Parts: sequence; structure tokens; C-alpha cells
Amino acid sequence: MNIDAFTQILETYGAVEANWPEESRAACRQLTATSEEAQHLLRQFMLLEQSLDALEPPHFPGLETRILHQALPPQHLSLSDRLINWLIPKSGSPLSLWRPSLAACLPLVFGILVGNLTDLGAAQDSIEYQYWDDELIMLSFNDYSDSEYLP
Amino acid sequence: MTDEELMLAVSKGDQSAYQTLVSQHLNAISHYAFRLLGNRKDTEDICQEVFLKLWTNASKWQPEKAKLTTWLHRITHNLCIDYLRKHGRTQTSDTLDIGAAEHLLETPQSDEQNESIAIDEKQRLNHVISLLPETQRSALMLCHYAGFSNKEAAAIMNVSVKALESSIARARRSLRTQLESRNLHSTAMKPASGEINSEEKTETIG
Repeated sequence: MNIDAFTQILETYGAVEANWPEESRAACRQLTATSEEAQHLLRQFMLLEQSLDALEPPHFPGLETRILHQALPPQHLSLSDRLINWLIPKSGSPLSLWRPSLAACLPLVFGILVGNLTDLGAAQDSIEYQYWDDELIMLSFNDYSDSEYLP
Repeated sequence: MTDEELMLAVSKGDQSAYQTLVSQHLNAISHYAFRLLGNRKDTEDICQEVFLKLWTNASKWQPEKAKLTTWLHRITHNLCIDYLRKHGRTQTSDTLDIGAAEHLLETPQSDEQNESIAIDEKQRLNHVISLLPETQRSALMLCHYAGFSNKEAAAIMNVSVKALESSIARARRSLRTQLESRNLHSTAMKPASGEINSEEKTETIG
């Protein structure tokens, strides 16, 4: 630790030792114990901190009342909150029951849609066609010359 | 009630929770805004806006990402910076008017004046702080007065920790230089007039 590094620490973290980086504290302590220049520097920064502490901002009488009495605008709600508010309105009117009912039906509608849109139906068709093709081929191999087939 | 519970209540439209939060945080917010803006009227306007934003955007606060006080200081910081830039200022030049500042830089002559030295010293320091560029002033205010760690202050100012540390180091260096040159701590010496060094001025203009 040299005086430049110590100055850098004081400028960055201030004169309060607790705010210095842990790994540098011991070296800083050692330097201030041995170097008069470091002691002088530390005193200057301590005076600076004391001067800063002495600056008190003004009071703002009436500001809290002003803030609390200002008209509050509508709140920005999250998407989930807006959805919940739409589904279950705070008015509590019986007519608004259609919204939760609609929401309850959504899984059913979703299931029907999924059932219709998946490959399952199309695959069934193709298997069905293949099945009849196979049947026709099998029929073509049969011998129909037997008497039982004749009129 | 914790900040989290209060904010949850505010997001559901609970005005008493809002009142509690205003009472708890107004001092810190108004002090920070005042130290950035340097005058009462603007500070009061900004504070009103900060708490309106708290009310309207309560549901957007994410407690796992930032403490409420950090979030509020960030809102305040952004509003103050927007305000300063909108009004073409990067410094709180109206903390003291020029005439008053010049008067303060003169040497006290009489006993009566000596009695007011302590007050004058504070005003001189205020003036020196007001001449700091906004980034340096914000960094100093957040770390020294509001008690935020460098990491938290960096998050509020939306800069890297390294940039924050550079700003605060330059702020302290400037103040120490100014205090040394004006000899604020010794009333026996005549304070030398001067402004922030040319490096700081350049940065402010740039």
C-alpha cells in the first residue's frame, strides 16, 4: 500500500474505515500508523466528511399533506390483475357471472379445438384408406370360380 | 407491516398503505431531490411526482430485484435528471445566487461576521457541491447522505459500479481541493476564490 493507493481508497470509499474494502483495511491501517502523510490525508478526508455531515437539508412543512391530498390517478395494473378484475368484477352484479362461467368453459373449448386440430383425425383417415386398399388386394387374390359363388 | 406488504396493499388501491409509505419515505426522497435540484419548489414538485409514480406503478415493483427505497431513489433520480436536462441545467446554480456566493468568498472582517462563519462555511460547501457535475453530485449524495452502498448507488444511477466509484472519487477529490484552497476548516486564513477545476468544468459542459 502506498500513498496513491490510499488516496484512491479514501476518495472512493470515504474516511470511514468500515466502508473500505476488507482486503485493503489492514494495509491502510499499517500505512496510517507509519506515514505522517497518510495520517494528514486521513484527517483531511475526515474533516470533509464532518463538513458534509453538517449540511442539513431544509424541512418541507406541508409537503406530506400536499402529497396525500393530491388526486390519485388510476393505477397501472399488471396483466394478471387486469384479467382477474375482468373475470371477477368488484361490482359483484349477478349479471357479471357470465365471465367466470365463460372462463370455466375455456378448458372444454380448448380440448375440443386441440382434438380437432391434432394429427389424430387425419391419421385415422389415412389408416382407414390403407385398410380398404388392403381389403381390396386381399379380395383380388381370392378364387371366385367355386360353385358357391356361381348363380 | 413490511414494505412488501404495504406495496401489495397499495397495488390493490389501499390509500392508508400509501399514506404510510409516504410518511416513511418522504424525508429521504425530499432530501435527495433537494440536494440534486437545489431549490424547494422543484423539490416539492418532484416529490409529488415520485409518489404519484409509486401509486400508479406499485404493481411493477419487484421486491426480489431492489429494495423499495432503492426503487424510489431511482425514480427520484430519473425525474431530477430529466428535469435538470429539460431546463438546460446540469448544476444546481440556484442554490446560491452569484452575489451571495461572491459575498461568501470574502473574508469576514468583524466579530459579528465571525459569528456567522459556521453558517457561511456551510453555505460555501453547499455552493461547492452545487458546482459539481450532476453524476458526481448524485454519487456523493447517494453514498454519503442516503447511505447506499456503491453497488446500490450504481443501480439507482443506472451505471456500472466502476463508473459510480470513479464519479464519487472525483467528487471527493474536487471537494477536498476546494475545501483546502478555501481553507474552510480554518477561519484564520482568507479563503481563495475559485471554481471547480477545469477538468470538472469540461466534463459538465461535455
